[in-house]
Amino acid sequence: MAIEVQHLNVHIGDNHILKDVNLTLPERQITCIIGPSGCGKSTLLRTLNRLIDSTEGVKLDGKVLVDGEDIIGSGPEITELRRKIGLVSQRPCPLPMSIFDNVAYGCRINKMFKRRKSLIYAVQKNLMAVGLWQEVRGRVRTPAARLSIGQQQRLCLARSLAVAPQYILADEATSALDPISSKTVEDLFVSLKNEYTIIMVTHTLRQALRIADNVVFMYLGEIIEQGPADQVFNHPQQELTQKYLSGAFS
Amino acid sequence: MLGRRILKDRVAHGTMATLTVFVILMVLVMAVGLCLKSAPVLEGQSLWTLLGSSEWKPMKGQFGFLPFIMGTLWVTFLAVLIALPISLLTAIFLTEYARPVVRRFVFPALDILAALPSVIYGVWGMLVIVPWISERLAPHFVEFSSGYTVLAAGIVLGVMVIPLLVSLFIEVFSSVPMELREASIALGATRWQTTRKVVLRKTLPGVLAATVLAISRAMGETIAVLMVCGCVIGIPTSVLDSAYPIPALIANNYGEMLSMPLYESALMFAALILFAVVLIFNLISRIVLYRIERRDA
Repeated sequence: MAIEVQHLNVHIGDNHILKDVNLTLPERQITCIIGPSGCGKSTLLRTLNRLIDSTEGVKLDGKVLVDGEDIIGSGPEITELRRKIGLVSQRPCPLPMSIFDNVAYGCRINKMFKRRKSLIYAVQKNLMAVGLWQEVRGRVRTPAARLSIGQQQRLCLARSLAVAPQYILADEATSALDPISSKTVEDLFVSLKNEYTIIMVTHTLRQALRIADNVVFMYLGEIIEQGPADQVFNHPQQELTQKYLSGAFS
Repeated sequence: MLGRRILKDRVAHGTMATLTVFVILMVLVMAVGLCLKSAPVLEGQSLWTLLGSSEWKPMKGQFGFLPFIMGTLWVTFLAVLIALPISLLTAIFLTEYARPVVRRFVFPALDILAALPSVIYGVWGMLVIVPWISERLAPHFVEFSSGYTVLAAGIVLGVMVIPLLVSLFIEVFSSVPMELREASIALGATRWQTTRKVVLRKTLPGVLAATVLAISRAMGETIAVLMVCGCVIGIPTSVLDSAYPIPALIANNYGEMLSMPLYESALMFAALILFAVVLIFNLISRIVLYRIERRDA
């Protein structure tokens, strides 16, 4: 198992956000985390790459094993951990630089290439991987902010892929996109799952149904049910899961 | 009922528009007034002689403003040189590194510093900075210095400008969305790398605008500078020379010299120079900002 969460508790101030979370995230598959708003999906995701650290008053407790190494304790160097776990956020967030520099940013930060040619090749390869190369070739030196929202989100994905991560965290990565862009990004995730372990928070049950290999259902900071998508969607074991899937609450 | 609401809306609109025009007109009226008052001295000497000459003999009707212009530039440049890095790093620390509890203590302190009357800074300069330069620093470099120097004025002015600059920079840095920082950090960047390559880059126009505002403020600062600059007419050649910036010239002499119309006109011309320098400086910075914003948008 690639990522294993054991008895994870997250407190922010006096609020107990995640309660004794135990979870296994299988390698090279898409795991969708579903649940109503405020159930702790995003907090869980932000804990996996320790972005949660920047939240005021946060207290972590338990174990998160990434490749067998606990990232909550002393663990590996945090910057290296974050390089290994890419993040695609809810709203596309292009850095204030050109399309090329956006994709090259992580490579430069992590000093991945000594030769400029290798960097150019890496940028091109990752823009191709997200299907953006044909659309932006010839204007890669223009500001990334000039791209459409859908293109920006794919650019952000290319930027994450450029640092050669093993895992991709996607926090409602298609919620700000139009249906066509959303479908493009969704298809991208499916095509990438052979190379990456993808953990995706989604609000859209249909999306989870379309692309998830595994599903984790959360409610009020607790994991209610987890398992293969087919099992969770078609034969939910818990009453809460059944109610959520039937639309009794959202 | 609807008619009254629309009427109120129109009255509010009209009042605000009138007041806006009034504010702009005030600046224009000031500029025109300064030009008219400066006319006599411009009739006596050419513009280039006034700006480029060092001869300052009011009794003979010779007014060379170069020492005052250079004094203003020296003091302003030094103040910004001192204030800019300190303010920038302080603001970066407070927005990017400091815990909220630190910010809660520091922000009110900065507001108090910004609100202190400039005469207090002047007194502090006279009591602390001037003796320190005169007794401790200057003896290493020159035989004698009274301490009333460009350096003293630069330090006092720099310290005065720091709270303003820090507050402006904090505003600028706080406008950067947290998601942008996280996008960088999530790629494995450290906080310092994120600050340098993302936050500073994103806020470059704002940082420049804040700096220009601080420079304009520094150029016009009068009392504190007047108290520590030495007020000796001459072009400074080092930071340990005395200086006589334009605001100090006007404040020291206006009122006393009203009996000499040409002298009064010369002082008005000095004010016009200051006005023009600040105006030109702001215009140039606007053009630079516009170009940067167009490049990044």
